[in-house]
Amino acid sequence: MTVLDTRATAPDSAAAPALAAAARLRAVRRARHRRTALVCAALAVLLVAFTAAALLIDLNGVPASEVLPAALGLREGLADYLVFQLRMPRTLAALLAGALFGLAGALYQRLIRNPLATPDIVGISAGASAGAATVLLLAPAAYVVGAPVAAIAGSFVLVAAVQALSWRGGQVDTYRLILVGIGLSAVCVAYTNYLFTMAEANDLAIAMRWTIGSTNAADWDGVTTLATGLACCLPLAVWLNRSLTAMALGDQLATGLGTRVNPARVAVLLLGAAAAALATSVVGPIGFVSLISGPIAVWLVGAERSVLLAAPVGAAIVIGADVLALHAPLISPVPTGVLTALLGAPYFVWLILRRGQGAS
Amino acid sequence: MTDTSPPVTSAPPLARTRSSRGATVAVLALAALAATLVAGIALGARDISAGEVVRVLLHPGGETFNSHVLWTDRIPRTFLGLLVGAALGASGLIMQALTMNPLSDPGILGVEQGASLFVVLGILFLGVTGVQGYFWLALAGSACAAALVYLIGTRTNTGSTTIGLVLAGVAMGAVMSSLITLLVVRDRVAFAHLRAWSVGQLTGRSEALGQILPFAIAGLLLALTLGRTLNVLGLGDEAARGLGVKVERARLTAAAVAVLLCAAATAAIGPVAFVGLVGAHVARMLVGADHRWSLPVAMATGAVLLTVSDTAGRLILDHGEIQVGVMTAVVGTPFFVWLARRRDLVRV
Repeated sequence: MTVLDTRATAPDSAAAPALAAAARLRAVRRARHRRTALVCAALAVLLVAFTAAALLIDLNGVPASEVLPAALGLREGLADYLVFQLRMPRTLAALLAGALFGLAGALYQRLIRNPLATPDIVGISAGASAGAATVLLLAPAAYVVGAPVAAIAGSFVLVAAVQALSWRGGQVDTYRLILVGIGLSAVCVAYTNYLFTMAEANDLAIAMRWTIGSTNAADWDGVTTLATGLACCLPLAVWLNRSLTAMALGDQLATGLGTRVNPARVAVLLLGAAAAALATSVVGPIGFVSLISGPIAVWLVGAERSVLLAAPVGAAIVIGADVLALHAPLISPVPTGVLTALLGAPYFVWLILRRGQGAS
Repeated sequence: MTDTSPPVTSAPPLARTRSSRGATVAVLALAALAATLVAGIALGARDISAGEVVRVLLHPGGETFNSHVLWTDRIPRTFLGLLVGAALGASGLIMQALTMNPLSDPGILGVEQGASLFVVLGILFLGVTGVQGYFWLALAGSACAAALVYLIGTRTNTGSTTIGLVLAGVAMGAVMSSLITLLVVRDRVAFAHLRAWSVGQLTGRSEALGQILPFAIAGLLLALTLGRTLNVLGLGDEAARGLGVKVERARLTAAAVAVLLCAAATAAIGPVAFVGLVGAHVARMLVGADHRWSLPVAMATGAVLLTVSDTAGRLILDHGEIQVGVMTAVVGTPFFVWLARRRDLVRV
């Protein structure tokens, strides 16, 4: 989108080639628009299909025609319980949390310019999980509001610590950042594990959610939290994406183009952490979603628009994994995070084998 | 182990440790071990006075509750901690020497997770019970995991193999712990049991001491013979070959010992990260890079670290205790971060 207008700078004598170049640019742009539209349509179809699968498979005797009204809260009894109380919050939580994870991952990957530097790898999800689990166990009454706030606080602490500890000689080395993040996330995971082995209520579902990530325990309160979070994070991401596009050219050039680089960097770090933390506060640290979504989005539509497209990609991954986690033969039911890790870790290995550096 | 190479006649090239310093450190290490042993036995959630402890120790077989606590819980627990800590310290040092990677640790590289996965498979599908059965499964699992992580980690494109190995370890660790969850999540009893085990703890594992003792002792003795081999391997493959060492064979032997030690430790108390990392680095700070000295010292530092962490975990809370795996993560992470910040680590 930031292609410079060549016509304005070209001298008159060179007008003909410049016009030809401009025409070519317009053609490229049109093709890119077409591709984006196509990708968006395909993703929309995929999301609808997964959502339908999540709501319709294995209905326990509720007629399929009842599902849509029940999903809107218009039925009572079994249909209401199964669809409106259980499946709708779970499905919506999977979609919204996936979108937030995808957004967070793409923001970090684009800022740090390394596909490995996502909130789940550098420990930010683990920090958020530790914060939310603390509220859950120490102040369960304040849980609905307290968990997201504590998760965001935990993630901000982790961002600050990771940045400060990987700061050396006036700059942050990407791989040092990743190593420090891995170390700090080990502490957070140890702390969360400790909380749950100590807790009186050794509830399996809850422990699953905070250590591996699961949509199993999502309720309507959680969906409200996620929807509010996404509604706040998306516009900010759109706004910051302009700065990110400029910063992709290098800090000096970005400064020349009028971007205030350091405030923008801090804003992106905090926004990504907050998005990952909000998702984590409801469904737990579902791993590898933010790692996979960004590169898939880049592959689909190119780096510039990838940040926003990573949201629906992440949503599709989590809802798809959730349907598999609930209904796949032999293995189901398992926590959603298990499946995303089994899908994502091989990709991670491929990533460090093939192209450790310089993605997006 | 079986060092078939002709004896190296010249002075070992990395012998930076003067024996006087080595002797001082050895005395200090023994003193620290003794202090740890005393602390592990004397301190705990139940206040038992020093005089009472001595009295119970002098008169084994007493019927009092204090006697029961000491003989069936604290004493075996302390010795198990020392044994497992020594195994992890030696395993970490050997792994660091073989991979030439200061961040190698059986926990960080996912080797312990591989051991855990195989133990879980054995419990669920082969009906294995008892720590000795766990050990053989853990051995197979850690060997597979170590080979896999090494193959991936040394082929990465991440600037240096140091980081590649850590990232490969993280990825494989995630896969294996996911598979463990996948296997046990529908079995409530197995899940509850494995949740406690998967954190890594010494609580209630006293019966493991007798069963794991032969394996751990064998591994530690084999490790003690590796010092010279590791020194020579540290010179680089060509120099080592020039000195008459069969490099691949020596490397494989050392790796096998490291895996054996890691398997014994994991089978006994579950995965505990960072003990090998910290133990090995502290040992090298104390006696330098000569592995003939640093291997026994790493055993001592690992043993002290694990047992002190466990004792501290028993004392911090008024009720209950903090598992040793959590304590070592809290102690080890600052160390890991400090290592990661070193300039020479990134982009070797």
